[in-house]
Amino acid sequence: MRSFFALLAWLFPRPFRERFGAELVERAVADVEHARREGFPSGFLELVATSTDLIRAAVMERIRPTRILGSHRQHEDEGLGMMTREWLRELHQAGRTLARSPGFLLAAVGTLALALGVNAGIFSVVDAVLVRPLPFDEPDRLVTIAASAPGSDLPEEFGVSAEFLIQYREEADQLDGVALFNAFTATLRYRDRTERVLMSWPSRSLFEVLGVQPELGRLPTPEDGDGVVVLSHAAWVGWFGGDPGVLGQSPFVIDGPRTVIGVMPPEFSFPSSGPLLWVPREEFDAEGIQPGRFGLSLVGRMAPGADHESLARQLGALARRLPERFGGSPRYAALIEQHVPVVRSLEEEMLGPVAGALWVLMGAVLVVFVIACTNVANLFSVRASARGRELAVRRVLGAGRARLVRSLMSEAAVVSVLAGALSLGLAAVVLPIFLRMAPDTLPRLAEVHLSGTTLIFTAAATACAALLCGLVPAVGASKVRLGRLRDGGRGSTPGRHWRRDGLVIAQTALALVLLIGSGLLVRSFAELRSVDPGYDTEDIFTFQFAPEQSHLQDGPSWARFHMGFLERLEALPGVRSAGIVENVPLDEGLRGVRWNTEETVSDPDAAKTVQVTFTGGDYFGTMGIEVLLGRALDERDLVNHGNVVVSQTTADLLWPGLNPIGRRLQSADVEGWHTVVGVVEDVLQYSFRDEPEPMIYLPLAGPTPDAWALPSPGYVVATREAATIAPRIRELVHEVAPEAPMYRTYTMAGLADASMARLSFTMLTLGMAAGLALLLGAIGLYGVLSYVVAQRSQEIGVRMALGARAGQVRRMVVGQGTRVVTLGVIPGLVAAALATRALGSLLFGVGTVDVATFVGTTLAMLLVGVVASYLPARRASSVDPVRSMRAT
Amino acid sequence: MGSSFDGRLSILEFHVLVALASGALYGYAITEAVEEESGGTLTPRAGSLYRVIARLMAWGFVGEVDPPGSEDQHPGLPRRWYALTPRGRSLLSEESRRLARAVALADAKLRPGRP
Repeated sequence: MRSFFALLAWLFPRPFRERFGAELVERAVADVEHARREGFPSGFLELVATSTDLIRAAVMERIRPTRILGSHRQHEDEGLGMMTREWLRELHQAGRTLARSPGFLLAAVGTLALALGVNAGIFSVVDAVLVRPLPFDEPDRLVTIAASAPGSDLPEEFGVSAEFLIQYREEADQLDGVALFNAFTATLRYRDRTERVLMSWPSRSLFEVLGVQPELGRLPTPEDGDGVVVLSHAAWVGWFGGDPGVLGQSPFVIDGPRTVIGVMPPEFSFPSSGPLLWVPREEFDAEGIQPGRFGLSLVGRMAPGADHESLARQLGALARRLPERFGGSPRYAALIEQHVPVVRSLEEEMLGPVAGALWVLMGAVLVVFVIACTNVANLFSVRASARGRELAVRRVLGAGRARLVRSLMSEAAVVSVLAGALSLGLAAVVLPIFLRMAPDTLPRLAEVHLSGTTLIFTAAATACAALLCGLVPAVGASKVRLGRLRDGGRGSTPGRHWRRDGLVIAQTALALVLLIGSGLLVRSFAELRSVDPGYDTEDIFTFQFAPEQSHLQDGPSWARFHMGFLERLEALPGVRSAGIVENVPLDEGLRGVRWNTEETVSDPDAAKTVQVTFTGGDYFGTMGIEVLLGRALDERDLVNHGNVVVSQTTADLLWPGLNPIGRRLQSADVEGWHTVVGVVEDVLQYSFRDEPEPMIYLPLAGPTPDAWALPSPGYVVATREAATIAPRIRELVHEVAPEAPMYRTYTMAGLADASMARLSFTMLTLGMAAGLALLLGAIGLYGVLSYVVAQRSQEIGVRMALGARAGQVRRMVVGQGTRVVTLGVIPGLVAAALATRALGSLLFGVGTVDVATFVGTTLAMLLVGVVASYLPARRASSVDPVRSMRAT
Repeated sequence: MGSSFDGRLSILEFHVLVALASGALYGYAITEAVEEESGGTLTPRAGSLYRVIARLMAWGFVGEVDPPGSEDQHPGLPRRWYALTPRGRSLLSEESRRLARAVALADAKLRPGRP
């Protein structure tokens, strides 16, 4: 790093450099070292910032030099400065020289521009998503609070219950505030538009805890009760046309009209799934709390000076006193004994899932950048040796070494600056495409753009490229051997082979790391694709609509409406079958409800949590969910209330080893007794990575005639025309309910793709980076061997004149190429074994050191090495011995 | 050429002079003092800081001095120490008086109850 800053110091005018150079470098190194102790991004960012500052100061110093007292070179520094003028002349000259070899210029600029472009793109994403602080007041003090109870039958981590919130709010002095939050979909209706949208029902104090202010209107107060709503910026623009008169309007939200009191600014989104609106709720009252209803998510603001450990200690101690204050069953008291609070920074909670993938991508494109620089440095190196004779002449004519270095550096600078400018153009075109590809779940996606920080980053990267690509070959080439003049400008340069070989070895190693990384992701993707979710993903279309008709009042009327619509839907040409479900898998979540079987009903603590949903029509047949035992729900169950179908896991959970058909179960949250009439195979509701959750399917009409109404269920349609059927269904919806728009229209294939978006996105991006690295590596190897062959054409000619056959010559060159690649493979494999750990949670069904992937990609790498060596080898074997020797 | 002093100090220049007012300092110590005394609003990085030092030296407000006593025992490069020249000291006190007058004026105008 010291040498890097020493190079940057060279950008300063000489008098300044001589006087302050050493101190500057010392100071810059110390700053970066200091920041590096804080961890990876800070060190890296400080490096970028310090380099940028040095470059900026150097440029300013060149434009307006400081006349330092006592400097013996003052007279040279008049006006723009002699040095600057010389540099400008050099740059001009460099431009002219480069213009004379357009092939070289194109290759060098193209390579660097590609690498700088992908870096600018990924950096903008990393900067917006991970580096910029969250848009809350003092985000470092924000934490999420959950619970764990090692040794209990509860999940590893779960949400707390209301009495925790009350206790924390009243007693925890390490917290400045604590609020409840959640996210769910419910009905939003305004004028003639009705949809189920994502919303949140947080504590009223949520906004205060996060330290945010609305851009319009005000925050909720205790006087508001729960009849008000705060809109997101997106809802304000999308639903109310950005009208400032929105305050005081009363759209229908969830179950009735609520008054809009405020609009949040565009960057505010909480939780990160991005709800459209927030319905502030009354704070919980200690009266009438039923302890032990877990599942609430909390966000808290730590008091100044508090840290995660001390807070967790305090929360743990407070929780111990809960049974004493709120009562509860013996099971609850036992659970509290096992309870350990889980305190995590909000940033980790919000960004943690994507941070790993993004840093991997940033690392990958930096590797591509290094490979590109090596390639261009190599090109310059080759070019400089080819110009050895010209340089020797210039040296003899009195050009100093520094002058020669400057001349070669100028060419690298011209190439890099052109590439830097081109890369920004490239990034401006590619970034939007990239963002469209990115998964919707990527938080803060809307904030990504080519920002000033990205420009600075690209400028710094361009400067690094200029130094790397210019200085390495320039310093080497300036050690001009004057002997080159005497021996006619020919001769091999064996001493420098190791450097070029070294570059190829490094490129091979780096490219292999990326290849193996993307190989592992490709395998994970294939594994995930081959998971059987329990339902078909092909040829299924799903949608919802929410009719508003006065005769639709109770469960049976809604059920009749839906069944009538279902009949018309099934009559559509091309529709094989259709069904209804409350929550379409991969689209919406389920509710967990605690159930007791007839056998365990006397013991409430023996209840098991099972998710519920309800279905109608031919749901199981349409989705391809197999009925394993008994029968599916059908029209009989619309009249005979109380029948249910359970999934295999539910059957195993509630009646292990027994036949569940005809058995009965009961829940405090669902009226009446329910009889199992069928068992179906398990389905994956949330993601292909999960284990299946236990599920119970209730019939559409509800357990009793007046139990519930289901105004807006999900429809599933089996049809070969899943991708194109939407307009015809929309017409049908318009016929039966002209007031209701159709929404949440997906194909199951589309939902499956979306559920794997994080993996497929990382896989594609890393794959592209690896492909680019492989291509650049191959070009690098090809370039080096071509050069070596050209240098050795005379020797090859002699060998062939002495009887060597073309095949032998080809083998010799290919052998040399393969040897270098093999040398690169070894460090590449070691580095990959360490680096693939970073992929961690992205992988599925494959280890970080997967032998098949490692071997396969290594063979592919070697093959590419052989192919890249073969072309120069063919050229070598076609050397005409007579011509090559006569040229001596 | 280096523009000659035009009677105005930038904020960073001013704070560097303030940092040196209590005695000679070396480069890193100047940054620390500037950062602390500006309440963290100024965090000059290497390039910017040394340009300011160079400029203040060129204007004759700051000069290089010998290390005080046996202070300079740290490993690595010998540190260079900088101190205010008499001219720098008088400029700083003049500038402080000017700023104090400006602050007093602003305070008086902002005070409530005035027309």
